Amino acid sequence: MWPSTRTSSSRTRTSGSLSLKGVPRVARVLAREVAVTALLLLGVSVVVFAILYLAPGDPFSLLLEGQMSAGVPGQGVHEAMGAPKEWHARYLSWLAGMLRGNFGASIRTGLPVLEEISRVGLNTLLLTLGSMAVTLLVAVPIALYAAVRGVNRVSFPLTMAAYVMSALPVFWFGYVVIYLFLHTFGLFPLALGSPGTGQGPNRLYLLLPIVVLGLGNGTLGEVIRHLREEMGRVLSEDYVRTARAKGASVWKHAFKEGFLIPVTEIVASKIPFLLGGAVIVEQVFNWPGMGRMVWQAALDRDFPVIMGIAVLAAVFVRTGSLLQRFVYIAVNPGASRETAERRAA
Amino acid sequence: MKKRYVQAPEEAGGPSGLRFFRKTDAVDLLFVGYGLLIVVLVVASYLAGVFRLLPYDPEASDLGLLLAPPGTVGHLLGTDFMGRDIFARLILGIQAYFLPGLLAIAVAIVPGTALGVLAGYRPGRADTVITWFSNLVDSFPRLVLILLVVAAFKPDIYYIMVVVGLANVPATVSLVKVKIRFLREKNFIEAAEGLGLPRRTIVLKHILWHHCRASLIIRATLGMGEAILMETSMSYLGFGVQEPTPSWGNMVQSGANYFLQGNFWPSTVPALAILLAILGFHLLGDGLNNLLERKAIH
Amino acid sequence: MSLPPLLKIENLKTYFHSRGRQAFIRSVDGVSLEIRKGETLGVVGESGSGKSVMALSVMGLVGAAPGVIAGRIGLKTDGIQKNLLQDLDDYVERVEADGRVVEVRKDVVGWQKNVERLMARVRGKAVAMIFQNPKSSLNPYLSVGRQITEAIRLHTPCKGGAESRERALHWLERVRMDSPRLRYDNYPRGLSGGMCQRAMVAMALSCEPSFLIADEPTTGLDATIQSRIADLLAELKADLGITTMLISHDIGVIRRLSDSVAVMYGGMVVETGPAREVLAAGTESCHPYTAALLASVPDERHIRGKEPPQAIPGDVPDTIHVPNGCRFFGRCVRVTAAVEKECTSLLPPLSEITPGHAVRCWLYGGG
Repeated sequence: MWPSTRTSSSRTRTSGSLSLKGVPRVARVLAREVAVTALLLLGVSVVVFAILYLAPGDPFSLLLEGQMSAGVPGQGVHEAMGAPKEWHARYLSWLAGMLRGNFGASIRTGLPVLEEISRVGLNTLLLTLGSMAVTLLVAVPIALYAAVRGVNRVSFPLTMAAYVMSALPVFWFGYVVIYLFLHTFGLFPLALGSPGTGQGPNRLYLLLPIVVLGLGNGTLGEVIRHLREEMGRVLSEDYVRTARAKGASVWKHAFKEGFLIPVTEIVASKIPFLLGGAVIVEQVFNWPGMGRMVWQAALDRDFPVIMGIAVLAAVFVRTGSLLQRFVYIAVNPGASRETAERRAA
Repeated sequence: MKKRYVQAPEEAGGPSGLRFFRKTDAVDLLFVGYGLLIVVLVVASYLAGVFRLLPYDPEASDLGLLLAPPGTVGHLLGTDFMGRDIFARLILGIQAYFLPGLLAIAVAIVPGTALGVLAGYRPGRADTVITWFSNLVDSFPRLVLILLVVAAFKPDIYYIMVVVGLANVPATVSLVKVKIRFLREKNFIEAAEGLGLPRRTIVLKHILWHHCRASLIIRATLGMGEAILMETSMSYLGFGVQEPTPSWGNMVQSGANYFLQGNFWPSTVPALAILLAILGFHLLGDGLNNLLERKAIH
Repeated sequence: MSLPPLLKIENLKTYFHSRGRQAFIRSVDGVSLEIRKGETLGVVGESGSGKSVMALSVMGLVGAAPGVIAGRIGLKTDGIQKNLLQDLDDYVERVEADGRVVEVRKDVVGWQKNVERLMARVRGKAVAMIFQNPKSSLNPYLSVGRQITEAIRLHTPCKGGAESRERALHWLERVRMDSPRLRYDNYPRGLSGGMCQRAMVAMALSCEPSFLIADEPTTGLDATIQSRIADLLAELKADLGITTMLISHDIGVIRRLSDSVAVMYGGMVVETGPAREVLAAGTESCHPYTAALLASVPDERHIRGKEPPQAIPGDVPDTIHVPNGCRFFGRCVRVTAAVEKECTSLLPPLSEITPGHAVRCWLYGGG
């Protein structure tokens, strides 16, 4: 939501490099990426732990106890002896529980957190992925057109419209869309159980939050700008000129560096914003997902749920980032390392 | 459709104003102009709110005139569901994000530049660690992190803004790092060190003041834009500024129920205010970036 | 002079526009050249003389606006006979004042589409081009072999993977690439500048074009590699006899490979003729710029005697504020009182001094 101007604010940054000779290069690089991701997720757990630990009222004890009660019987002598006292021991106990899939129990419902989340996680996943698709569907044509044709009386208004869209509060936009739906179909939109139910216009209603989040997540302007800049830059590269000179397809040559990499890059970096937007959109549409669940949990101070969702959200973000790195590595096996360092800023 | 290219006749001095206008992109000037207008309005309204120089009474409930549309006599922008004047509440609502926004900006920029300098000046261990921290911070969706903090501590807009600020530290770090790398490539830093300049001077005066100043200002404008977005979003969700204190976010929320019944104004007026304000800061940042930064890059 | 020219450029004008200065950059300002089949024309001149822009104009690769605004480029080779700037006047309107273009109206998008159509069967097939900076001119994301076979599959009857690979390898050997089979799978990153240039040459020639444009093929390479590439080009010239336009600011390379030479200055051709004549050092029947250029090349005498090389006084010509008369006037050391007046006020035309050798200078008469 803080659009960057020249440097993209959320690319995964790489700096320096470890290198061990001997192991095949690609495997080495992939392994490094996975290791870094694991380390980051560990850091995520530390941050979440720290926040809860420092919170007044010791929510962390509640969390640990919840973990124990929700845990599989016979987890071990360690747990049976009761909650450990020192902060490092508590952290490790909690982490161990999490890695086993035990996220504790919801304070409100008493049910295991992971179970609760997985009940609605799919809805949010659908919402997020769908919105991403919508954003790209709108941004890509505009960006490519603007890259090739420059600023003209087609690309300029479209880009400006995207800027306005990016500044529009998504929570208001949602109501506008619902209202329009109401007037077009005369049907009052219902809060639905899960996607797949409902007939006719109601099924159309499932698309609404996806369209709203896709258009209104505040990143549209930045996505268009990034894609346009990158493609524009690549189109003026020497090697694209050579491709033109030999009568080859410019698109084929510009595709990897000008399209594939920027798109995966910007998508991976905007996942956090989409998840944040999902919290709001789920609220507007009463969409049963993780976003609405975390909001409710914040109201109830249901820490196990909030923490579980925070961790899972981070996992989602890092997975996206990892996938993007995999694409990047697949596309240029070792080639243009200077480019890699240049864009790793 | 033919584009026109003209060779202007040789002018001795020429109307310099017009020349500048042609040189720079008119669009960027427009953006900056609009952005500055918004900044002025926001600051003026903030001060008006603080000193209670309001056109109407924000708390008076005119029960006979609920949900009045804009243009109603006595209420330029209408009234909300409790009959309170929207215009006045709009002005007060700025207080919800103005100072907190400045806090967010400060939290983003001060540690950000410090870490950025550390990471960029002597790449190596420090750089790797700081990069890892940047990636760590970037792993969280901001809203979720805010909810976590709000649930753990309290729904205080200042706490929220600290989180927002911290979440933007990576971007500032990156900005400063890139600048330093650029200066290193141009051997600027080497030259300065060779001249015997003390490191502190190099960093503070040359790097930060001369080269990073513009980018940081742009970051700050975008930061205010984000602060507005975050504050209004959180207030909409009920965790930021709470009723009866007005916030543009909670004004949209309270008007939302009536929106679907056809009374869109109580919700739409604050929403438009959010739009115009955020757009102003974004365009200001963008315009300044094109005017200042693009010229500086070789 | 008996054969019709393979390439005939007539009065080509390629301009760019600076919005900041509200002025035209007259990169190519009325250039006319001819190349006959089998001939190698060396185009020599300083940076900014418009040589590269001229080559890009021939290929239709001028990106910035307004680009090509006037002229005719006739290409006549097996199977093709066309004006590469056909219908240009449908897309461009020029307004002139005092014999100089001051306003241009051009349908840039429409013209580009037209060019793509005109050049569709020409690029890579009839005319091939190699560039300077070979490392950045190759796609870093594809292996060298892939890029060569791409060209082969596009422009030759070779279709199958194995067939085009064989052909690519054959050409890699022909450009004297060491370990061709190994290099085939390398990425440009793993190759030196010289090797990349060899690959580019292989890529261009593997489609057996009728005409090759080489834009500064040795510039930017290490000194020893430069001469090796020049060797390669000489060898290929002897073997294939391919018609070539060789662009360079390195007189040594031009001298080595050219049959005829065109000297460019300030966007115009100032001298053209057989290489032997134009590059003959010390003769008087030569454009002052050419003479100065030849004199500025350090030779044995300079190196042994430790004399400083003779630089040409003055600055690179301004292609924005173009003077009225001869563009070299400010730096010319051979101005005489007799011609000074014309030199400052009128642009001299290209006039023949001996058959086949023309000079644009008032010292050699006009008209």
